[in-house]
Amino acid sequence: MSVNPLPAYPARPAGWTRSLSEQGRNPLGLLLLAPMLLWIAVFFVFPTAWMIWQSFAERGLQPYAAILTSPIYLKVLMTTLKICVITTIGCLILGYPVAYVLTIAKPRTRAILLILVVLPYWLDFIVRSYSWMILLGRHGLINQLIMGIGLSQSSLPLLYNLFSVSIGMIQILLPLTILTLFSTMIRIDRRLIDAATIHGASPWRAFLTVFLPLSLPGVYAACLLLFVSALGFYVTPALLGGPEQTMISQTIMVIASDLLDWPLASAAGVLLLIVTTSLLLVYSRFFRLDRMLGGMAR
Amino acid sequence: MKTTGAIAVNGFAGAVLIFLLFPVLVVVLISFSSVDFLSFPPPSLSLRWYRTIFSSWEWIDAFLLTLQVGALTALLSTLLGVPAAFALSRHLKGGQGFVNALVLAALVTPPIIKAISIYLYYVPFGLLNTVPGLAFAHTVSGIPFVVINVVAGLRGYDRDLERAATIHGASPLRAVLGITLPLIAPSIIVGAVFAFMQSAQELLIAMFVLGTLEKPLAVKLWEGVRVAIDPSLAAATTSVTVLAVLGLVTVMLAGRRTRVTRVAVRG
Repeated sequence: MSVNPLPAYPARPAGWTRSLSEQGRNPLGLLLLAPMLLWIAVFFVFPTAWMIWQSFAERGLQPYAAILTSPIYLKVLMTTLKICVITTIGCLILGYPVAYVLTIAKPRTRAILLILVVLPYWLDFIVRSYSWMILLGRHGLINQLIMGIGLSQSSLPLLYNLFSVSIGMIQILLPLTILTLFSTMIRIDRRLIDAATIHGASPWRAFLTVFLPLSLPGVYAACLLLFVSALGFYVTPALLGGPEQTMISQTIMVIASDLLDWPLASAAGVLLLIVTTSLLLVYSRFFRLDRMLGGMAR
Repeated sequence: MKTTGAIAVNGFAGAVLIFLLFPVLVVVLISFSSVDFLSFPPPSLSLRWYRTIFSSWEWIDAFLLTLQVGALTALLSTLLGVPAAFALSRHLKGGQGFVNALVLAALVTPPIIKAISIYLYYVPFGLLNTVPGLAFAHTVSGIPFVVINVVAGLRGYDRDLERAATIHGASPLRAVLGITLPLIAPSIIVGAVFAFMQSAQELLIAMFVLGTLEKPLAVKLWEGVRVAIDPSLAAATTSVTVLAVLGLVTVMLAGRRTRVTRVAVRG
């Protein structure tokens, strides 16, 4: 077991072009890769490039100017970023202790806990948001509880606000958080913590000075992944949020399917794409793909 | 050695797990409700909403459509993703960074971007309103699940087994097909099931590509959820959940069987 939970990412040679020419000596790799690359090119890269082209084709830069100067669209953008930050922080606070417990648990307990963590991950987004509508509604279970123990006389407005959107999104993204953190933590050599304890550190101190710093790469990776995932949310803010919590995907949907203004929708899509792509480039430099989701199977 | 700190951490983790699982429990219980409205806990239990769902052709058609699109997506993702995973973990000399970034982008690019771009792109090709058209688009997001899992599976795989086969006269291709693929089968299955599930749950691309003529389950749920005042949706969603759990159990069993085989092979 290596001490460093994240061995250095395979250093990229002088450039992607050079590394491509290096494949010439061993074409098997490229041959096996080619069908997938071709598929992603035809059904993902080309359509995206086509969308970028469409955003300029009819009216030039006008759609971009329209978005960047409109207070409404800028407000949606700010709201989206705000909800993403809240969701990311919430997920990390709730997810870190669970990932830690998973790491130190005995294999049998860990297997059961992992099933419980992954279970909601298999449920439809729509279903999970729907269940919060039932729970947080005026006559929902939470309000019944609050009134039952006398915290409030009347039912509280728990639904269709920032609170309900955040709760819903945190619940949906928690399994991803826990699995990402766990896949880093499980690689930390636990003997280092024992060593710290033997030399007189309290368990808390050993955690703070040894375990926590070693788990930080996982935390950063989770941050980026959560933020990018949260950016694209559509169903949850639409079901659990009010008009004040409109996120960018909903706005693009309205522009495309109600206003039928494709250049404007494409331009908004391009702006969203720029944000996600730059975050992804950072992510892929620091985190290996096969670590994602802890390689789900194991 | 239970310190108060350890108890606190365990308690917190337990609370988070309840937060994670409680909404699931709510939907499952409500699907067995006997009354016409969404009250939790339901006053008494019945199967009436399952009868409603499974006697409606609209819902059955939605199930079948989702099954078709999902199966084609899982098949294509596996055929494309498994060779790519082998290339990534064994045969590439550099360039992994680029491929990883591309696969990751295919996974987490916001669905609304994929939906709008594929819609504009499909218009001239006549792929709108077709089942393969939707599956082709879903395959883009399915491939990463297969690649991630198979790469992880290959990392944990002892390549000496394959070398042993080659030494005993098997061609490299035969060694991979006969030894390696069966042993990493659980990883492939998990990847394929995840590819299926993401297709079954995908909403935006489905709405844009299929329009409003044909509705897979996700679109039907989405339309229902905004007007639903009875528990039929909970029954429909629970059915999907059962499908997912069955998939999970299949995978777990497959994993257990192979672990036994692996031990057996190692002697």
